[in-house]
Amino acid sequence: MVRFENVGMRYGLGPEILRDISFTLDQGSFHLLTGPSGAGKTSLLKLIYLAERPCRGAISMFGREIATTPRDELPGLRRRIGVVFQEFRLLDHLTVFENVSLPRRVMGEMESQYRAEVEELLSWVGLGNRLNAKPATLSGGEKQRVAIARAVVAKPELLLADEPTGNVDPEIGGRIMRLFTELNKLGTCVMIATHDMRIMERVPASRIYRLAEGRLTVAKAHDFMAQAKRA
Amino acid sequence: MNPAGRTGLMPADSASGATLHTIVAVMSFLACLSLGFVLTLGRLASEWTDGLSGSVTVQLLPSAQISPEDQVKEALRLVKNWPGVFAARALSREDSQKMLEPWLGGGNVLTDLPVPQLIEVTLQPGPVELEGLARALADGVPGATLDDHKRWNAELASFATSSEAVGWAVLALIALATLAIVIFATQAGLQAHREIVEVVHMIGAKDVFIANEFQRHFMWLGVRGGIIGLVLAAVTLVGSSFLMNSREAPVGAQYLPQLVSSPLLYTWLLCVPVVMGLIAMWTARFTVLRVLGRMP
Ligand SMILES: Nc1ncnc2c1ncn2[C@@H]1O[C@H](COP(=O)(O)OP(=O)(O)OP(=O)(O)O)[C@@H](O)[C@H]1O
Ligand SMILES: [Mg+2]
Repeated sequence: MVRFENVGMRYGLGPEILRDISFTLDQGSFHLLTGPSGAGKTSLLKLIYLAERPCRGAISMFGREIATTPRDELPGLRRRIGVVFQEFRLLDHLTVFENVSLPRRVMGEMESQYRAEVEELLSWVGLGNRLNAKPATLSGGEKQRVAIARAVVAKPELLLADEPTGNVDPEIGGRIMRLFTELNKLGTCVMIATHDMRIMERVPASRIYRLAEGRLTVAKAHDFMAQAKRA
Repeated sequence: MNPAGRTGLMPADSASGATLHTIVAVMSFLACLSLGFVLTLGRLASEWTDGLSGSVTVQLLPSAQISPEDQVKEALRLVKNWPGVFAARALSREDSQKMLEPWLGGGNVLTDLPVPQLIEVTLQPGPVELEGLARALADGVPGATLDDHKRWNAELASFATSSEAVGWAVLALIALATLAIVIFATQAGLQAHREIVEVVHMIGAKDVFIANEFQRHFMWLGVRGGIIGLVLAAVTLVGSSFLMNSREAPVGAQYLPQLVSSPLLYTWLLCVPVVMGLIAMWTARFTVLRVLGRMP
């Protein structure tokens, strides 16, 4: 459902921070993306959720060539993707409930259509009693859970998460990973960018991607784990 | 003020919102006041010219050929029978004295001065053959001349038109400045909400959806600011006319142009908040669509 062919990317006139990236994500698969800080993990995710354009190469999403897709059809593709941003990017003036509902609202749904689902989702991530709180009053971990709830509320076909367990304790981290695995079992393709080795042991990653010096290498999860343990 | 009945995507009150409110309110206030002046001038001009063209005056200079009494009688008879004349009245000595008092002072001036006898002629609306009347008077009544205020009329009319033109120019300048300032403030307000635009865009909102949210927010902002300015201007206009009519007003103030009280004026003033809302709305829409156009 996602295919990159020899993709390169740069910010403005800067150096190419991603070079010759080629990979595919199939429906229902589970992927991890690792690499040192500054390697370009977030940038790669931005390409996938269509927030940046590549400077060369071809990207195809859900069977559509992005380069030839008219601009007004891109929102339709974005709605099939859920994103947990590294810096959360919650809207400060909206309540937790409103933040999480945003993707449904953007799709034109009425509150009666999503109210129950959003409440259920929020209590599942342990925020059932903070529906009307503003993000500014939440802890880092709570914000992260709101961001995750917002990413999954529209049942995306593709879920991208950038360091989703960076701010939470192992207990909540485990719950979040279980949520991702559940969604994956239901057919959602998941890609998580992370440094967290514990995640890697816990999830059924079909592939682990490693970004370094702008290039992407692929390893089968087992080989990668074995290698990491030996090092 | 949110017709959808749920929280808009925009923060209800932000610092930039307060600034924008103030700016729009002040500009509306100025626009309302200058609109008031322009419309008053326009009305005044037509009142003056109407008032003058509705009447003419016959002057009777003492003549050796006719006694003053016969002169007045003859002139009145001729004028009253002229087609288009509504009424004619000879001014008494006292009337003339009162008219001249501001210039000559009280006392028995008139008895000593050869002041012409005046006949005030009120015309029916519509064209009247004044030149014929003038000739008839000159031929029929010795010492009689007709003053049709033509010279006055023309001067007043051109004065009124030129001050009205200046008024419109001032109004146009204020409108232009308002446009520029409101556009500027709206763009600054949008800059503060850039994060909202970006996040909603990446979540999959269409450009039109985002533009609608923003333009609704800024339209109400403009309308509210406009209403505040309108109310302040109305208070000023009504207050000034009240002061001018009150007893404490300086002598002569009642002869100054009265600013208010035509329903037409208020209809025009009501347009100001609407126009403010539209300016803010279109600026917001245009700016948001431009910002979004730069995003992939
Ligand atoms: N908006 C931007 N404009 C210019 N350069 C950028 C921008 N965002 C990121 N970069 C640069 O691109 C490179 C990759 O950044 P990126 O955020 O993708 O790394 P990352 O792998 O996500 O790092 P981390 O693990 O710290 O989140 C870095 O060198 C960074 O300085
Ligand atoms: Mg990153």
